[in-house]
Parts: sequence; C-alpha cells; structure tokens
Amino acid sequence: MRLTTGKLFALLATILLTYSLAPVAPARADTNLCKPSGKDGAIALPRKLATAYRPQEDKYTTADVEPLSSVNLDALGLRTPRTLTVGTQPGGPPTSCLDSAGRYTGYDNELLRAIAAKLGLHVVFSGTDFFGLLAQVAARRFDVGSSSIMATEARRRTVGFTNGYDFGYLSLIVPSGSAIDGFDALGPGQRIGVVQGTVEEAYVVDTLHLEPVKFPDFTTVYTSVKTHQIDAWVAPAMEATNVMRPGDTAAIAGYTFGLGNYVAYAVDKDNQPLIAALNAGLDAVIADGTWARLYTDWVPRPLPRGWHPGSKSALTPHLPDFAAIAAQHHRAIDEAAPPKSTLVQLRDSFFDWDLYKQTIPVLLKTGLPNTLILTVSSGVIGLAIGVLLAVAGISRARWLRWPARVYTDIFRGLPEVLIILLIGLGIGPIASGLTNNNPYPLGIAALGLTAAAYVGEIFRSGIQSVEPGQLEASRALGLSYRASMGLVVIPQGIRRVLPALVNQFIALLKGSALVYFLGLIAGQRELFQVGRDFNAQTGSLSPLVAAGIFYLLLTIPLTHLVNLVDSRLRHGRATTEPENPLDRIISTTSQEMT
Amino acid sequence: MTERVASQSVSLAGKDIHLSFGRNPVLRGVDIDAPAGSTVAVIGPSGSGKSTLLRSLNRLHEPDRGDILLDGRSVLNDEPNRLRQRIGMVFQHFNLFPHRSVLDNVMLAPRRLKRLSANAARELALAQLDRVGMRHKAGSRPGALSGGQQQRVAIARALAMGPQVMLFDEATSALDPELVKGILALIADLGSEGMTMLVVTHEMGFARSTSDTVVFMDHGQVVETGPPEQIFEAAETDRLQRFLSQVL
Repeated sequence: MRLTTGKLFALLATILLTYSLAPVAPARADTNLCKPSGKDGAIALPRKLATAYRPQEDKYTTADVEPLSSVNLDALGLRTPRTLTVGTQPGGPPTSCLDSAGRYTGYDNELLRAIAAKLGLHVVFSGTDFFGLLAQVAARRFDVGSSSIMATEARRRTVGFTNGYDFGYLSLIVPSGSAIDGFDALGPGQRIGVVQGTVEEAYVVDTLHLEPVKFPDFTTVYTSVKTHQIDAWVAPAMEATNVMRPGDTAAIAGYTFGLGNYVAYAVDKDNQPLIAALNAGLDAVIADGTWARLYTDWVPRPLPRGWHPGSKSALTPHLPDFAAIAAQHHRAIDEAAPPKSTLVQLRDSFFDWDLYKQTIPVLLKTGLPNTLILTVSSGVIGLAIGVLLAVAGISRARWLRWPARVYTDIFRGLPEVLIILLIGLGIGPIASGLTNNNPYPLGIAALGLTAAAYVGEIFRSGIQSVEPGQLEASRALGLSYRASMGLVVIPQGIRRVLPALVNQFIALLKGSALVYFLGLIAGQRELFQVGRDFNAQTGSLSPLVAAGIFYLLLTIPLTHLVNLVDSRLRHGRATTEPENPLDRIISTTSQEMT
Repeated sequence: MTERVASQSVSLAGKDIHLSFGRNPVLRGVDIDAPAGSTVAVIGPSGSGKSTLLRSLNRLHEPDRGDILLDGRSVLNDEPNRLRQRIGMVFQHFNLFPHRSVLDNVMLAPRRLKRLSANAARELALAQLDRVGMRHKAGSRPGALSGGQQQRVAIARALAMGPQVMLFDEATSALDPELVKGILALIADLGSEGMTMLVVTHEMGFARSTSDTVVFMDHGQVVETGPPEQIFEAAETDRLQRFLSQVL
C-alpha cells in the first residue's frame, strides 16, 4: 500500500515537474480534431453506397425566405435581446466542438455565427449533452440548438427546424479484420453502436430494423469499436473520418446517405419569427459564398444529387470537385497502416504528455475553481437544509416529520443525474428570469437538495444515537428543550457523524460533474467537462486521466481526514481540541492536568 | 419567585401522584414527604416506580394527577425549567456531557441560566469541584475519569445551580464496589449540611445509617414509611419483609 502511494506521488510529481519546466508546447497538430481540415481533407462519395439517396417528398423546406431587411430583430423572441443563446454538443468534431482556445466552433457553429452576423445578432454558446439539447430548446433555455441535428418527423413534435444546411452522411466503422463489409451485412445478433439520440440511431432502428447499442458520444463508441466491444458503429461520416487515425484497429466498411431528412438548426416550434429569420440568414450566407467556404473548410464532401442547402429558391452553391480531390489525396484512412502495438495504443490513450500539458492549465484555471464553487455552495445548501430535515425528522409533530420523510425518500431514491435534469430542464425555464440563464444556480440547487436528503439522514441518525440520559441530565439542570438540544445533544450527534459528512462531501465533489448536463459556457466548465472536451477534441483519454488526478488530489486528502477524525473520535481526543465556540473563553483557561 | 440561598433548607412533598406510561400505570397514588433538611431514602424492588417518582417530583415526567409541594407551595403551575433549577438531580449513569470538559460540565447551567460572567461561572464551578474533590480534573474530559470521579463531577454539576433539594437516582449502582463508599460519604456530608434529599438507593446500609425516613415502594405505591430502625427492625408488611430478606 505504501509503495503504491509512493509511486502515485512520484507520478504526480513527475507530471507537475514536467509541466512546470517544459515551455507550453503547441498542441500536436494531429491530435486536434476540432479544426477545419480544408478542402484537402475531402472524402469521396461513397465507394460502397448501400442505400441510394431517395429524396422524399420534402414538405418542410420553405419555397422562399423573407428579405433580410424585413427581419424585425426585436420580434425574434430571444432570451436576451439581439443575442442568440445557442446550445451545442461540444463532442462532435468537425461539425460541433470546442477548440483548444475554449471557443465553440465546428461547421455547425461557424455557419450559425455567419448567419447571426448577417442578421446583426450576437451569439453565445453553451455546451450541453445531445439528449438534453432538444428539451432545452423546446423550453427556450436555448434560442437555437446547433449540433448536426437531423430534422426528423419525431423531433418536429418537440421543436421546429430551419431549412437544411447539411445532410446526413453515414459510414459504417468496424474493427479491423471484421467480416462485416457493408451496411447490407448488418443483421440481428450483432452489437451495433450508435450515439444516443442521433440520426444514426434512427437509421439503425427505422431503416435497418435492428436494435442498436447506445453510447453517449463519439469518443466512447469509437473506443468500443477499436477494442472489439461492439461489432460495428453506424457513424456520421465526417465525424468518424476525423476521429480515425492511421494505425487504429478499425476500418470503414461502407457509406450511406441518411434518410430523406436534412440537418438543420432546432428552434422552439412556436418561435416562427426566429425560424424565418434564420432561414433568411442561411440563404444570405449561401448567396455570398460563406456557406461554400465553411462547408469546404470543415466538411468537404460532395453534395448528394438533388439536394442543396437553404430554401428551395436559394442559389446553388459553388463547391470544388471534392471527388477529384479525394481521389488525388485518397486519405490514409482507407489504406491499411501497420497496427500500433498495444503498449503504444495504451500510451497514446492514457499518457499523452503533450495533452497533459494542454489540459492541466485549463483544469487549474477553469475546472478546479468551478468544481470547488459547485461543491462548496451545494454543500452549504445541503448542510442547511439537512439540519432542518434532521430537526423535522426527529420532531414529535407529525406535520413536521412527515414532509421531511417524504422529501428524504424522494431525493434519496432518485439518481442524481435525473434530479439534475428534472430541476435544470424543468424549473430552468420558470426560474430563468432569476438565474439569467446561468445553469449554476439550478445545478447547485439540484446537488444541494439531493445532498440535503443524505445529510439530513446522517444528522438524524447522529442525533438519535445520543443517549437519552444526555437530554434528561440537561433538562434536569433546568435548561430548556431547545437549549439542551443545541448545547448538549446536537453537538454530540454532529461529532459522531463527521466522518459520514466528509464522505457525503466527497460524493458531492464527484457528483458536481453532473452539472455538465445542463449546458455550460466555456468558462463555467468544471473538472470533468474540461477533461471531456479535450477528450472529444483529441480522442485521447489522457485529458480524462488528468481530470481524474485532480479529483484524486481533492478527494484523497479528504478521505484521510475522515480516517483521522474517525480514529480521534474512536480513541478519544487530545484535550487541546478546539471547543464549542460558545465556551472557548472558558476552555482555554489552563488547568492542572494529570 | 425569589431565589433562596442553598443553605436555607426547604421541604419537598408529593401528594397522591399518579402517572401512567401509555396504559401502564407506573405511579398509583404516591405520597411522599421530605421535611426541610431531611434525608429520605427510597427503597424497593426494580420496577417499583422509584426512579419515576423522582422524575415526577422535578416534572421530568409530568404527573397525571396529584400535587407537588416545594416549600409548602404547589409547583405544578410553575415554569418547569425554573422548578428544575431549584431541584438538583444525580443519575445512576452520571450523564456527564462527554463533549465538554469537566469544568464546562459544571459551568454550563449557571452560565446559561444564571447569566453569570465567564469568570464568575468558572469560580463557582471550581468551588463546587473543590467541594467534591475534583478540582484537579477540571480540564479533563469526562471519558478520562473513573466512574466515581464522574459521579463526583455530576454532583458538583447539580450543586452548581444552588438547588434547595437534591434527588439521587441510584447514584452508586453503576459504580465499582470500592468507589461506592466515597460517593455515599459525599451524599451523607451534603445531608449533614442541611440539604433536603431524596435518595433512591439499593445500599441498605446507607439507608439505615444516613436517612431520617425510609420509604418502601412496590408496584407504584408506597407500602411502608418510617424511620430506618422501624423499617429495618420492625417491618409490618409481608412485602417489605420479603424484600428485606432478599437484599440483606
């Protein structure tokens, strides 16, 4: 045990030393997925096109748009006047991601910036999880959702969509040496991975009629392919091409276009003025060539025949001949590179020093303070409400005991992530005037309310474990019930449960990562999301390991503090222990000791 | 209500006290009388209601029926916290506050209830600890003390409020045999200083030698009352005779 601890500290020391001595190196070019590839990164039209693109009857794309000049910027129903509040999923390069400078970018987001500029609107981005994005758009926590969202029929029940600016283009990624050679080879009994809530999932379910294995994001599902934990990944082609590296133990087995649906920005469906304005902006950036430039920079591949972005009357954009470019460069991805050794793979995944150097400053500057803010403030709320719950829980009055019981049962019985989503997404829109669209108050409230249920039970058990003789002796001296509880019973109860409280605090520290689900702007990211973003940016697990080290640096000392407190409580304590502040004056008096 | 000085003895009496816990009658019409300055020993088998009687006299358990007279005046309508300041109580298991030092244990109530300054409360507490021979442990935690030492501190704690009557609830039952004598001597000293005392005890020797009156309780009632020589030498009832034959 001691040896392991020693090694761990040596490792940490090495990391910190390396970091402090080495000048900050520029990000290694090939690790950064969150940057435009340029037209040389073009991928060809599917070589193994499984499903021919069949334009379905398109009843949603508007025939025309209103002129830009007639857009009334004050009638767009925006949360903040003249500012687009945008929710995006940062883990999907190259279409939506967070770059190493902390800027939400990618094709979707850059295009939206261009559209907003045409309209004369500011843009503020928040990162959130894909499956919570549409709900937050519907609740108008975000004006716009921007994350390669397929405008499917099912989604149109929840939100409205602009005209299309991209299309679904899927690829099938399989582990090296797999027998699966195309979409036609997929069948029941295979583990087919998709990112939950994406059009790929819909494709597997609705078109292939198969049951997919759902993952939260690209990085996880791709890692699972490489390690043979799933048989195939139905992936968005651009994103997949981006995360794949020469030498990876995975290959592209085929391509297909998505359903007839196109990719569009999600907007609250009752907010038609905003949809119309964005459509006008989209046609405008198509007309002036901005769309073609961004498309070529970020997602260079040929358009499916019969499809073009914007309204039906939008100009057809002029694009380079991607097929020819792809044929010239024929990206290495399709060529068999020698597989990397397991050790090298492990090193690249977990111990990429350059990435540590990139991640640690952000963890220190952004992640650590935010994690501490979240933990400490929700801890204070948890303690305050927890004490009230404990007092109500031991009260003789049923009308106090009963609500405390119900509260505790509910908040202890629900997964923390569910409470965060319910409070963040459910109460968010109601409280948005107070919280100014900042997810922290609601996240802190959700964490604090959950912690309160546990803290309340901890306090209650502690207080009830104090012998009844203590209260009796105090009452016999003439002290009131309240004074007896406050001076005699509760202080003893609290001392007994200090270890349990510290454990609860550690749980809270770790649970603070869940605020991620509510959507954070770059400066609000806590440790986990900083690690997650670098992970999504680079495909390496090293940033997560770095975040993990930060958590350990916080939690391990706390754990040992618990043990110390615990053993002091168990084996008696020194008489020099600080006293109840009420009596500090008294106890400092020196007394003759044995 | 004016506070009397501790040395000024007062009487304590319970009249026809009834008390039930749920449907279980614990006290069934108890009369007990401790004249000013007297020591009353309460004896009887376990479960006879002795401890409950003590707790009803300082209204830790409110009697269902009956009256309590302190210094000849009913105190049932008084504020119970004020009443308890005038009646000190010592418990079988000491019930010291383990999270506070010995000195703090003794100071707490005077400081809070008599609103003494820290210095005055400390002087008072040290004087009481001196009285029970525990001044040298003032800075210790109760957990570091022997049972006998803890009970001395508990007595000092009760005395610090300047009570007019002291209740002892089997104060020596939890002590090692070699420590019992010291505590009994301390209680006897208190009695000889004129403190009115009700002492629930299993120490028949103590009841016989130190008390002015012995009360024998059984099944929630007083079965016999009298001076110790009468109770121990000339028991009238079968129940008392049987009890004495078992404990002596």
